[in-house]
Amino acid sequence: MIWFLQTAVGGLSIGAVYALVALGFSIVYRTMGLVNFAHADVVMIGAYVTVTFFLTARLPFGVALVLAVVLTGALGVGIERVLRPLESRDLNLMLIGTIGFGIVLESVAILVWGSTGTAVPAPIPNVPLHAGGVVVTTYQLLIVAVSAVVMGMLYLFLDRTKVGTAMQAAAMDRVAATAMGVNVGASNALAFGIGSAIAAVAGAMVGPLLYVSPGMGASIGIKGFAAAILGGFGNIPGAIAGGLIFGLIESFSSGQLSAYSDLVTFVVFAAAMVLRPTGIFGERTADRA
Amino acid sequence: MIRIGIVRPLAVAALFAAPIFMDRYTAHVAVLALIFAIVAVGLSLVMGFAGQVNLAQAAFFGAAAYSASILTTQQHWSPWAAAPVAILVATAMAVVCGLPALRVQSHYLGIVSLGLAVAFSSLLTNARFTGGASGLFGIPPIELPGVDMTDDYNFYYLALTALLAVGAFALFVANTTLGRRLEAMRDDTVAAAACGIEIPYYRLTAFVLAGLCAGVAGVLYAHFVRYVSPDTFSLNAMFLLLAMVIIGGQDSIWASAVGAILLIAARNLLSGIQAYQQLVYGALIVATVVFAPRGLGGTTDLVARRLGIRLPRLPLPIPRPAAPLPQAVPARGRAAGGTALEVVAVGKRFRGLNALSDVTLEVAVGEIHGIIGPNGSGKTTLFNVVSGIYRPSGGKVRLRGRDVTRRRSHQLARLGMGRTFQNLRLFRRLTVLENVMVALDRDPVWEHLRYVVAPWSVWSLERRRRARGLDLLRRMGLDEVADVAAVNLPYGRQRQLEIARAVGGDADLLLLDEPAAGLNAAEMEVLKSTIRQVRDAGVTVVLIEHNMGLVMSLCERITVLAHGRVIASGSPVDVSTDQAVVEAYLGAAFEGSKAV
Amino acid sequence: MRGIRWFGVIATAAAATLACGGQAVQQGASSSPEIKIDVIGPQSGQNADLGDWDWKGVSLAVNRANAGGGIGGRKIVLTRYDDTGDPTTGANLAERAVSDKVTAVFGPPQSTVALAALPILTGASIPQMVSATSGALTTKGSKYIFLDTPTSPIIDTTLADHLVKTLQASSIAMISNNDAYGVGEHDSFLKELTQLGVRPVSDKVVTPDQKDFTSVLTDIRSSGPKYLFIGTEEVEAGLIAKQSRALGLSATFAIGSPGVTPTYLSTAGQDVVEGTIVSSAYLSNDANSGTRAFASAYRKAYGQTPELHGAKAYDGMNVLIQAMRKTPGDLSGPKLTSAIRSITYDGLLGTFQYDATGQGIKNSKIGSIKSGAIVPV
Repeated sequence: MIWFLQTAVGGLSIGAVYALVALGFSIVYRTMGLVNFAHADVVMIGAYVTVTFFLTARLPFGVALVLAVVLTGALGVGIERVLRPLESRDLNLMLIGTIGFGIVLESVAILVWGSTGTAVPAPIPNVPLHAGGVVVTTYQLLIVAVSAVVMGMLYLFLDRTKVGTAMQAAAMDRVAATAMGVNVGASNALAFGIGSAIAAVAGAMVGPLLYVSPGMGASIGIKGFAAAILGGFGNIPGAIAGGLIFGLIESFSSGQLSAYSDLVTFVVFAAAMVLRPTGIFGERTADRA
Repeated sequence: MIRIGIVRPLAVAALFAAPIFMDRYTAHVAVLALIFAIVAVGLSLVMGFAGQVNLAQAAFFGAAAYSASILTTQQHWSPWAAAPVAILVATAMAVVCGLPALRVQSHYLGIVSLGLAVAFSSLLTNARFTGGASGLFGIPPIELPGVDMTDDYNFYYLALTALLAVGAFALFVANTTLGRRLEAMRDDTVAAAACGIEIPYYRLTAFVLAGLCAGVAGVLYAHFVRYVSPDTFSLNAMFLLLAMVIIGGQDSIWASAVGAILLIAARNLLSGIQAYQQLVYGALIVATVVFAPRGLGGTTDLVARRLGIRLPRLPLPIPRPAAPLPQAVPARGRAAGGTALEVVAVGKRFRGLNALSDVTLEVAVGEIHGIIGPNGSGKTTLFNVVSGIYRPSGGKVRLRGRDVTRRRSHQLARLGMGRTFQNLRLFRRLTVLENVMVALDRDPVWEHLRYVVAPWSVWSLERRRRARGLDLLRRMGLDEVADVAAVNLPYGRQRQLEIARAVGGDADLLLLDEPAAGLNAAEMEVLKSTIRQVRDAGVTVVLIEHNMGLVMSLCERITVLAHGRVIASGSPVDVSTDQAVVEAYLGAAFEGSKAV
Repeated sequence: MRGIRWFGVIATAAAATLACGGQAVQQGASSSPEIKIDVIGPQSGQNADLGDWDWKGVSLAVNRANAGGGIGGRKIVLTRYDDTGDPTTGANLAERAVSDKVTAVFGPPQSTVALAALPILTGASIPQMVSATSGALTTKGSKYIFLDTPTSPIIDTTLADHLVKTLQASSIAMISNNDAYGVGEHDSFLKELTQLGVRPVSDKVVTPDQKDFTSVLTDIRSSGPKYLFIGTEEVEAGLIAKQSRALGLSATFAIGSPGVTPTYLSTAGQDVVEGTIVSSAYLSNDANSGTRAFASAYRKAYGQTPELHGAKAYDGMNVLIQAMRKTPGDLSGPKLTSAIRSITYDGLLGTFQYDATGQGIKNSKIGSIKSGAIVPV
């Protein structure tokens, strides 16, 4: 029982990170129709920027995080301009083009920060709290808290503000939205910026939990994408559910089968996609002939 | 595509002569390049030709390499005995990874296949029998009597022979019926199914082809480097493969192979920190996708055009009436008389929207039947139900008395149903002739075993089909543009082509969805005479149209739909004077006017 | 028009072939005025530090030698290659070294990669000096491999002996990874424990790329060990240590060479590594005047404080240099290797004298980490 709870705790905290990655990914897809494989590497850049401010410039973690979010968000707007020609290409090419861009980001990170990577000390005293034999660290609690705040803010933004609603409208029908006075180009850039900002939060939070390296995009990214798809691509609650489920699957399979967890996680994922191709919350669309 | 002529044989000759100039390290790199080229050919077949996003290709490559290694080191098999087993393993793995392709496509498939590749990596890194993170050492070399296969130069010739064999087979597949069907599936899945292609089987076949190529390459790799480790077949390898195929040109076998050779050569012969190389090839991928999505292979055409090399001009002749189609001998017992199509109380619901309710109609054999109604009345939905794209929520569909309600698109195509689509669904990247040849091809999937069992028969079938295709094009007035890519035709011609394709499928029942949309007066006349001639050859025609002149002059009976229901049915005169129809659709001004 | 295409393609093909062939003309090693040595090691990937330390130690030694006139008037020229930590790349680079007809190869420092390169270099009679520690390197029957460090078996035996005999430890858990280095660590430590009659309370294996050790460490924690032996490279070891403490696992860490690196300390955090018991041939730069001189020269050249890995590379390269000085007229493989075996070299790690298997130094020392520095025990 203790083992079960302990594993669940681990799964939920990493799952919160995956949920953030999935969220950023889904926002961009939902608002722009762009499948952005480079998103994972934006997570990595966000992590590195945070680390640079936190460790090298010795700013408090909170400040470093905010700075990283702003900078990465701005970077996201820039990336959107670069990737804009891809939006009109077919999805296969879009996927491949963004993979290429992700490789570029990773190489840049290696050239700027080196390839070995850095460990990041926890920004708060990482006290293990004992609750009936289960150890939860204060940092794990922080991750879950921050993720929840971000998700809440995103929901409020999309559903309760004018700008957010306009963004969703632009995704559903560009022409109609433009006719209603929505600046679709700016809306897309903003969507990308927000997606990248969320990615930065994910990257910053996962650093102290695991390790910051140029290759972290690959491992966290693939799982984040898979989580987004598992939950139903473009679906916000789906992204969150998908992320948490992925974290739990990974944690439990890692507990039982040790290092084979990747194998189990992705086979389960593939099976889930075969059984329910549109994801848990996804919509079925009909082919219009 | 560069005309074959003398260029390619010369390139092949150069490849045979090259080792004379190479030092040992360059020969070593060259062998790796050839091996990767084989993998790239497989990726080109599955991604470029069949349109299946396969990010697990490096894993298939690894599966074969590891299988060969394990069998020869731990089980002490001979490399020649282990090779077919290893190739089988890679192919089996490809089939398993291809199963998700039956349910998801495009970026979903990309992520799933990527995930499976990661899963495979996890297996390699952890299992004892795969040697864990260290991998397997001391793999024995291939034994050829009298030849030292540990020598890089000797292995070069083996690898080159393998590449040429695999390449030749791939080209053979690509330029004949199987390749054409894969491309049709890539260009338009719905239309492909309507031409009788069983999509699930073809998706798996694409993966099988990818697995075979990767398998051959894997065996060669294991016995060349004689050491395998999980790193070699990781995601980095996959992205490198992707770069090779994209930059080379994914829809060309030659270009993909060349892309592989170029990238491996560049990677190994240039020194420098790996990060710079990664940066360059990542940037190249993005640039290629944005500016030249068909890769270098497609760019040669662009360059040729810039250099002023003229392409054949598209003829725009005045459309002439098509020559009369011969009286077709009734194929499946096409008796005159009887009911060709019966739709009984069919309904179709989409989550709360009743697109069709209780629709009943009957079409006699040899009739030209019109279906009209305002936009959104469910006409195309009706066609989609009848042609097997949608399952009805209720009711029955009968084709010549046989209940076909639950049948799918490709099965109905086999039973003699052909259709065109409201939004033109041509196989855009195939030529006009190839579009028609896809429809002419009535073979079921297992006929493709010919490729392995009796390849020469594929070739003769191909010639015959080509002749029949040209004949059909001639009769439809499309033979001058036979070799033009469908996407490059003017609109009117594209419509004609779609009809030719539907006709070519030897259909008894033709469903035409707004065939006159966008046509000018002259083209309209050609359309009318084509439809009449098709009917005279014994084919039943059902057509959806908004052009009342066309409908009134062509159709013998008309069914009117509004809001998913039949509101009138009968002869053109009856329907045009029916009050309900006038209110719902025609408008008072039409009342009493004569047919144009 | 056709003609243009022919010409273009043929010209390109010809050019490409000739470009490749440009490397065909090679000079024999002895007639070239320079002595070529390839340095192969990771410049990318998680363990790029290993490549970096090797390079710095080797360069320092070579620069000194060249400043002192080289070998019989000939300068040593180093060429550095990035094996990216991938054994296949390492093997390819070994092929390249053979093609370039180098006098010797330094590296790769990672055991897996070194093992991949070994058969190729040995087959071409090229001496290979490595900073890798896997015992497997010495059992392949090669006369051309030389280690500038004691092997894992020696390092871990010393460590196990200290734990069991000196510290009377009985509750020891093990965690190692499954690459060649980790497997070597695991096997030699376990072997010695068994010989001493101690069974580990837990024995877990992880992968080299793993970042999250929660479930494995939770398992280990439940067996309540007093000591945790870590058999992985430095970054991974640091992460394991860090996560152990976060999970409330308070066992004292015991580790081989990775424990003396600044990477281990910075990855885990100074608080976490306090008290770690390390086994290494080189504990501190202050050991004697020789090490102090080395440390100050290193600091002057690179602005960094050296540790074990830089020191052993320095020693290894100096062994090669001294051997080459003994037989300056003939640096061919067989001659150079017998020269290496005939000399005695007093280095930073100790006294080197090479046996038939390639081991030149066979003892290790025990230290412990106090306030971020390593103190001999």
